Amino acid sequence: MSLYSLVKSLADNKQLLGMRYAEWCTAAPSLEADIAAAAMGLDDIGHSRVLYGSLRELGTPDGASDEGDLAGVAYLDTPWTDWRQFVAANAVLDSAFSLMIEALANGNVEVLRSRLKKMLQEERYHAMHGHSWMREADAGDAVTQAWQESLEWFGPEAGEVDALQRQGTLTYGVRDLRRLLAERVEGRPPDTAIDWSKWDAIRRRTAPGGIDQATRDMLQGLAEKRYMPASG
Amino acid sequence: MGYIRVHANVREYDVFARKARVEPLRQVGSVVAPDDDLAMAYARATYDEERWVEMMIVPRDAVIRLWGPGEPER
Repeated sequence: MSLYSLVKSLADNKQLLGMRYAEWCTAAPSLEADIAAAAMGLDDIGHSRVLYGSLRELGTPDGASDEGDLAGVAYLDTPWTDWRQFVAANAVLDSAFSLMIEALANGNVEVLRSRLKKMLQEERYHAMHGHSWMREADAGDAVTQAWQESLEWFGPEAGEVDALQRQGTLTYGVRDLRRLLAERVEGRPPDTAIDWSKWDAIRRRTAPGGIDQATRDMLQGLAEKRYMPASG
Repeated sequence: MGYIRVHANVREYDVFARKARVEPLRQVGSVVAPDDDLAMAYARATYDEERWVEMMIVPRDAVIRLWGPGEPER
């Protein structure tokens, strides 16, 4: 497991999170929330582009599955059907990804130091949005799931995240990430133990499954290419 | 077309911004939110289409109005 795979998973999750946010651009509970959903979706899709663009300077994929598949958390596999799922993703998952961006932006890899700082400015508004909506919406079960999957995504203690911290690549280890997430969410983490024997180090999750083929084709532009005129 | 307000208690905030330091702040719109944080997030999301050098929000109920159009100066 490498820095490449960690940043690739961060980029994949940002892309999926942006897409899920954008799906709510006409379905949120108020006009302002519609617009915020669209804007945060654009932000996160933009962040994924920057992260993907940094990958070539971070080495090589750990394996074929790292190159082709999306390494997203299970929470983002399917569209959300309830606004509370949006709120939990916004307040918890987005914060978890921001903490990793912060750890990378303050680490010793120059390409990440120079490119990731602007993301944190934008993420400040995502956090404010999620935090305020957490006070408005009772998102209990969705928060538990998002939090559990965030902890899985950080990975196990004494794993590669902690190794990257020792190298100075990340400024936070797993314990720091967990503690800071609890501070930002202002709640108690879920009690459920994580079965690390089921953890996929590339996809950074224990649950099987993933996005469906139609969504994958859409994200990779394959769906649109079917309607392009044949070249030559 | 109207839409439903979902929050029990909301405030209206006016949004002010400017593109250059030499320009005065001008009102670019308004947002409605239950608290300052959400109002800031909404203002930034809604009115971020320009390259503003400054943006701020003011709760409308904090503005003291001296007089309005058609009213005698007081």
